[in-house]
Order: sequence, then C-alpha cells, then structure tokens
Amino acid sequence: MANASLRLTVGRSRRGPIGTITETVKSVIQRRRLLLYLTVSDIRKDGGNSLLGNLWLVLDPAVQLAIYFFLVGMVLDRQQPAFALFLFSAILPWRWLSMALVSAAKSVRAKDQVMRQIAFPHIVLPIASLSASSASFLFGLVPLCSLYLVYPERLTPWILSFPLIGVVQLLWMLPLAILFSALSVFFRDISNLLAHALRIAFYISPALFSYDRILEILEKRPPARLLLDLNPMAWILTAYRDIFYEGRSADWGALLGVALASIPFTLVSIYLFRRMAPSFPKVL
Amino acid sequence: MSVLYPISLKGAGVRYNMQLKRKRSLRTSVTKSSRLDDKGHFWALRDINLEVQEGETVAVVGANGAGKSTLLLMLAGILEPDEGSVAVYGSISTLLHVGAGFNSELNAEENILLVGAFLGIPSSVMKKRIPEILDFADIGDFATSEVRTYSSGMRARLGFSVATAVRPDVLLVDEVLSTGDAAFRDKARARILNLIQKARAVVYVTHDLDSAASFCTRAIELEGGKIVADGPAKSVIAAYQAKMERKAKGSS
Repeated sequence: MANASLRLTVGRSRRGPIGTITETVKSVIQRRRLLLYLTVSDIRKDGGNSLLGNLWLVLDPAVQLAIYFFLVGMVLDRQQPAFALFLFSAILPWRWLSMALVSAAKSVRAKDQVMRQIAFPHIVLPIASLSASSASFLFGLVPLCSLYLVYPERLTPWILSFPLIGVVQLLWMLPLAILFSALSVFFRDISNLLAHALRIAFYISPALFSYDRILEILEKRPPARLLLDLNPMAWILTAYRDIFYEGRSADWGALLGVALASIPFTLVSIYLFRRMAPSFPKVL
Repeated sequence: MSVLYPISLKGAGVRYNMQLKRKRSLRTSVTKSSRLDDKGHFWALRDINLEVQEGETVAVVGANGAGKSTLLLMLAGILEPDEGSVAVYGSISTLLHVGAGFNSELNAEENILLVGAFLGIPSSVMKKRIPEILDFADIGDFATSEVRTYSSGMRARLGFSVATAVRPDVLLVDEVLSTGDAAFRDKARARILNLIQKARAVVYVTHDLDSAASFCTRAIELEGGKIVADGPAKSVIAAYQAKMERKAKGSS
C-alpha cells in the first residue's frame, strides 16, 4: 500500500532515558532554524520599541558598571588597584547568568499559545532564550574592553581566551535554563524565588570580593568553604578575573573539571524536561 | 503484514490533572463529576478507537466540551495520550486557530519563515512559498510592516495562508471557515476543499452540520469524551440533528 512509505509523525512509543535524551537532542538539531529565528526575534524584541533600540545592549552593562564604579570604588573606597576592572570582570559574566536564567524561566510559559496549536519540541524555547541572552552578553564586552583605555597596563593576550571560559559557563547555564523553564510552568513562583536565589548566590560567589578574600572571611567556617568549592560559578568567575584583571592564564585543569561535571546535569535536565513536556499544553 | 491506516487510535484517552490546572476554564465549568476519576483527573477523552482509511474525510460532531478539540490536539501530536495509543502517518497540517506562532515584532515575511520553522517545514520550501502566501493573504503593502500593525482580519488572513501553504497528507480542521470578510471566506473555503480532496485523510470538527454532510464521507459523534456514533456522514449527522432537536424540544 502506498502509505506504507509514509513516516510515523505522531505516536512514537515512549523510550527509556537514553532513547529519550538522544531523540530530544536530534529533534533540536532538526529544528535549528526555529532556534535561530526565535533567538533573533528575542534579541530584537528587547530593543524594538525603545528610542535607543539595540544600543541598550551596550548601554545597560555600561551604566551598571558606572554605578558600581562610583558607589563601591569611590564612596566605599576599596583598596584594590584597578578596582573597576576587578569588579566588572566578574559582574559582567554574573549578569549574563542571572539575566539568562530569569528570562529562560519565563521562556516556555510565554509561548503557551503556540504550544497549544503546533506540535514542536518545546525544549528549543529555553535554548533559544539562552542563546539570545548570550548574544547580549557579548555586547557587554564593549564597555569591559573600553576599561583597558583607563588601565592599559592590564591588557594582555590572555583576554583572548575568554570564549573558552564562556563555553564552560554556558555548559552550566544550559541545564539550569532547561530545568527552570519547565518547573515554572507548574510553579509560577519559580521566577520570584529564582531572583532571590541568584542574589544569595551572588554574595557567596567571588564577584564583589576575590576568591582569596572570601576564603579569609570564611576561614572559621569549614562547611562554607565546601560550599564555595562546589559552586561552579566560583571557579568560573575566578577564571574570568585571572584573564581580564590579573592578566594571567586561568586554571584550565580546574575549568575542564567544572565543564565535565556539568554533563550529567545536562543529561538529567533534558530527560526531566522531556518527561514534563507533554503536560505543558494541558497546564498552561 | 497489517494494513497501515493514515490514522489509528486504540483505546486512546487524554486526561487533565485538575490540581495542576488552577485557572478556571471553560473545560472545568462543563466538567461532570462522572468524568473525574478518584485521583481528581478529568478525562477529556476516553477509550477512543478509530481507524481512518486512505481517502476518508471524517466529520466530528458533538456538543461543546464533548472532546472534539482534544481529539484534534491529540491527532496533531500536541497532546500525548495518557492511555492507549495514537498513530498518524505522513505530514500533518492543522487548521486549528490561525495565526499560531506569529511574533508581532516581525514582518509578514519573517513570520512566514518563523511559523514554517515551528511547523518543521524546511526553510527552502517556505522561502519559495512566500510570494504565493503573501498574494493569497492579500495584505498588499503591509508585507514589510510588523504584524502588530495589522488589523485582526489581515492577521487572520495571513495566518490562514501560511497554515494552508503546504499540502499535507493528513489534514485536521477545526472550524476556520469563518476567517476574514465574505470575499476571503469564499476563497478560503475553496482552498480548504481543495486541500481536503488532495489529502489522504481528513478529520473535520464542525458545528456546520450541513456542509459536513455534503463533503464528508464518514462522521463520528462524541459525547462525554466517548464515541457514541460512527458511520456514513449523512446518517450519523441526520441522527445527531434529530437528537439535538429532541433535546431542544425537551428543554423548552
């Protein structure tokens, strides 16, 4: 019969964890166009209606830098050479993390209409949101690099190794983005909690202080030391600071370990997302 | 070897978890306690057995909340069955709500590509269809403006043109004939009839019983999430109409 050649489009039987994960990854690769279009429209949406448009992608981090520069650097008078660079080399990647996770958490919920009308792999939504945030992070490098006009002596070729650190950070953001986007479909409160959780995490990460300074503060509390070492962002921020501020090589061995440790989280998050996905059109 | 039907459902059922769905919706308000199981699940469809053969056009009739739309969503792969199985072979087009997937910040052309990507149609195919889609939607100079500047009619016309641009093997239709003004409605009707003739299998949900009887080959009636009648379109629809009339008389 003629239709024997037709492909089964609806009704594939449920597979085990490994089958589910490979199938999901394949479906994302098939819809890479969708990923691209969603990313582009996501970036444009932010600048679309404002007077300065996409200039805000550069202005936002620049203004934030200026605020920290004057507030912490001048008013509080921290005894740290090239303080603005010290601060910004860690705050910029942290901004990437927090903005990416907050917008990824909303990414699935915001597309409730289309999910009820078209069958597509929902997992492209948090991934597209993450890549849009990553693109705007790259614009933040403009104010960061302009700081080298103030501190030219700190400019070294090591800054060129930043994409490697960025990839490690991205590897950790991916499972978090996937997981939070799915959970916030069922629990609207996730977005609120996430903002506070990120704030707490900000203070236990070496963002405002260096890693060594935090160790000094935490010396009397060994469990806190463990917490700091288990925090992948602690390693990642230190690496950024090494290349942007100290002008030296990052600890690549440690970073490789941090990168490898993200893999099981990513696999688990893909599996959990896929198991929750059938409920999305019903709950929203 | 068993014969493959374009669509086959075996004991399929879809349930909603009422605890997860906090918003009160139309569906909750039509809930009857008999369709809730002991865990508080609402079965929108239960124990559906249906095989649609090559060339059949199946009308689905029934009261509001009988499960017609849920059936289409399940066939489209948007809802997965919670029991039983669903199998659909070949490419699917769904004419459910037109304009799905549009981003108001993008212009017509970009939206055509975006929706095509949502549907999984290769962009090379979609790019070739752009002139034809714009022409059919008849939105003129607005093609280069963002969709947010469109009137609702223009939006609906564009949505319809995109959704019907590709010829599917299996066509799922949920009352979209009421799109746009009278002139566009006729054009849309002609296009749907053309798609119906060319598709291998069609499932058509409607309240327009006369038109369903005129071009459907088979009809099923849903009531309370179950199939209560299945047979040639004319006889099933006639029986359903008679039943509705009796009900209307009984309540008056």
